[in-house]
Amino acid sequence: MSRMRMRWWASAALLLMLVPALAACGSTSGGGTSSVTKKYKVGLVTDTGGLNDQGFNHLAYVGLQKAKTDFGIQADVVESKSDADYVPNLTTYATGGYDLVIAVGFLMQTAVGSVATSFPNIHFAIIDGAGTDANGNDLHLSNVQSLLFREQDAGALVGVIAGVLEKDGASPKKSGIISAVGGVSIPPVNHYIAGYKWAATMEDPNIKVLIGYSNKFDDPTPCRNLANSQIDQGADIVFQVAGGCGIGALTAAATRGVYGIGVDTDQKAAASTVIASALKRVEVATYDAIQAVVQNKFQGGVTTFSLQNDGVGYAPGNITLPADVMAELTKISGEIKSGQLTPPADIPNP
Amino acid sequence: MTTPATSQRRPQAPIAPEIPERIQRVGKALVAPLASVLFAFAVGAIIILFSGGNPIEAYQGLFCGGLGVFCTGDTYGSVAAPYRISETLVFTTPLILTGFSVAIAFRAGLFNIGGEGQLIMGAISSAVVGIHFATWPGWLLLPATLLAGILGGAVWGGIVGVLKAYTGAHEVVTTIMLNYVAIFFLQYLVTGGPLQLPGQTQVSPPIGVGANLPKLFPQAAQVFGLPGSVYRVHTGIFIALICAGIFYFLLMRTTLGYEIRAVGQSQRAARYAGVSAQRTIVKTMLIAGAFAGLAGAIQTTGIYHNLPIGYQNDTTGFDAIGVALLGQNSAIGVILSAILFAALHVGSSVMQSNAGVPASLVAMLQGLILFSIAANFLRSMKLRLPALRQAPVGTAPLPPGVAAIETEMDSSAELDTDVKA
Repeated sequence: MSRMRMRWWASAALLLMLVPALAACGSTSGGGTSSVTKKYKVGLVTDTGGLNDQGFNHLAYVGLQKAKTDFGIQADVVESKSDADYVPNLTTYATGGYDLVIAVGFLMQTAVGSVATSFPNIHFAIIDGAGTDANGNDLHLSNVQSLLFREQDAGALVGVIAGVLEKDGASPKKSGIISAVGGVSIPPVNHYIAGYKWAATMEDPNIKVLIGYSNKFDDPTPCRNLANSQIDQGADIVFQVAGGCGIGALTAAATRGVYGIGVDTDQKAAASTVIASALKRVEVATYDAIQAVVQNKFQGGVTTFSLQNDGVGYAPGNITLPADVMAELTKISGEIKSGQLTPPADIPNP
Repeated sequence: MTTPATSQRRPQAPIAPEIPERIQRVGKALVAPLASVLFAFAVGAIIILFSGGNPIEAYQGLFCGGLGVFCTGDTYGSVAAPYRISETLVFTTPLILTGFSVAIAFRAGLFNIGGEGQLIMGAISSAVVGIHFATWPGWLLLPATLLAGILGGAVWGGIVGVLKAYTGAHEVVTTIMLNYVAIFFLQYLVTGGPLQLPGQTQVSPPIGVGANLPKLFPQAAQVFGLPGSVYRVHTGIFIALICAGIFYFLLMRTTLGYEIRAVGQSQRAARYAGVSAQRTIVKTMLIAGAFAGLAGAIQTTGIYHNLPIGYQNDTTGFDAIGVALLGQNSAIGVILSAILFAALHVGSSVMQSNAGVPASLVAMLQGLILFSIAANFLRSMKLRLPALRQAPVGTAPLPPGVAAIETEMDSSAELDTDVKA
């Protein structure tokens, strides 16, 4: 390597490092605004996805910011750079005497379990998980609130859309085959797929549902490949349940001229043929958890966010859906809310 | 990095009293790293200013969060200093060991970018032994687990050494590729593979309790006003320090160490002196892999107590390149720069949460440190300014030494220079 080239390389590397650093500058919080009564302190610890993941870390931050405006709390954030940071980041807030420490994501379960055991007087909340021991058993700590979601409710809504479209022959290829691209076979992913398959089969008993897993949440390539192979098998509606990886499934669907369905957040911007997105309102859960602490109503144990309390839902996509789909959607949505219908948590067989 | 140059130059140097020369050498060795750290902090301060932050508050956060000093004022008054030091030691341990992995390869003229892959293979091997023989008593299980990690890393480094020595495959390419192989192998193991804890997310079952490295503080008692279980610092730090001794002794006091350094300075000259460059390269990479593998084993036995998927986001093996370069590939240097890098990492979370300055600043500081070392500003200043050139810094004419430093990074270029020289 010549000297010139090495310098070029070094400055290019520096430039690359500067861009995210500067981009991140705008997105973090300092102290809060002043308030007359006790100033509550809430600390949010992201997982390794970071604040700009366009997923649940981002949504949790949105909820935190809303709570900061509404309740005048001190809202602090720290991003975890590796798994080894979970325990120290949670501990930092616990030793700082925070009123609530929020952990985003099931990856932090064990860390929450161990830190919450050391600090029984500090309140913790964890999105998508519980405080567990090393074997993954819930420790049922009274100072840990588990914020769980009935993903199957959201999955059922998009399943209704897919099912009615196939039954009406209104899908791009009228094949009667739909598919789901899962990330890893873990409970939150399977809940979505369970509701999706259940509702689609309910609407169109002859429908065929292909299910595959990419074993990835970040890299779009495996999801693109999986979606393509499902489309080869005739699938003309693809539901992605794989976070950033699944964006690859949505773009594959658009390229092949079939429909895609987004997950967790409104993903209609990801590809032109996205017809809907199944929503998991992490911002609502985060906000509610903070509100409970501010109102002195914190309670350990599981809090479930479902269609009934608007913790999950769906967002429309780029293509206007037929009137009968919308009518059926309203009907099923009402029946799930009232408890008449209960989408299953486990993927139905067959 | 300067040591080979110094030793090359020494025969030409005028005879000087022993002690002053030593002090002079230590002083000279410290100038470049310190200057590059200062440079990084200065540029970092400007960037914080431009992005609307307060550099003094940000750096106070780094020092308070990383080293437990200057924890005062409204912003940092509530930070628990002893806990911060404990965490810095936790992150220092694997950085020291991977730092030696990179440094020993540098000494043989090899650029080991594969510290991460070797660390992961060490973590995997140690976890396999720790899980599979979980019922063994601690006195047997712990050493077996650590040894498995050393072997796993050594094999991963050894592959690179064999390829480099006998096929000429460039180690930069092979180490980077093997990093990916290690990461994908880890993903396979804990994602529906044989090591996944049933019903859980991409994590293995815990290793046997006997394989856990003892913690430094009693877990049940109150320590410095906090529950003892909070302090994660463990005896692995002593293992890392023992390895510093091994690293120094091996490199400076054994035949193999001499051969490694000889090959690093000139493969042709080493061959002429009867040293097998091929065998030395293989041995060097085995040792380099062993150091990194031990780092992985210590993370398994000291921190995680299982095998998490999270290693795919781990950057220890890459940060180690900076640690080795800043530490000038010496035992003490690697320890000191590992502490610095760990303190920056640990301090960044306090800085972000208390002062609102993004933790990514630390990645930038590390980059700037490396940048200024690579660009070698000091030397170009020396060459440009006659006043500095005549200052009694160098005892020998600069060009040959400079040439040696210049080409040390790249052995193929070095051969050319040797011919010209």
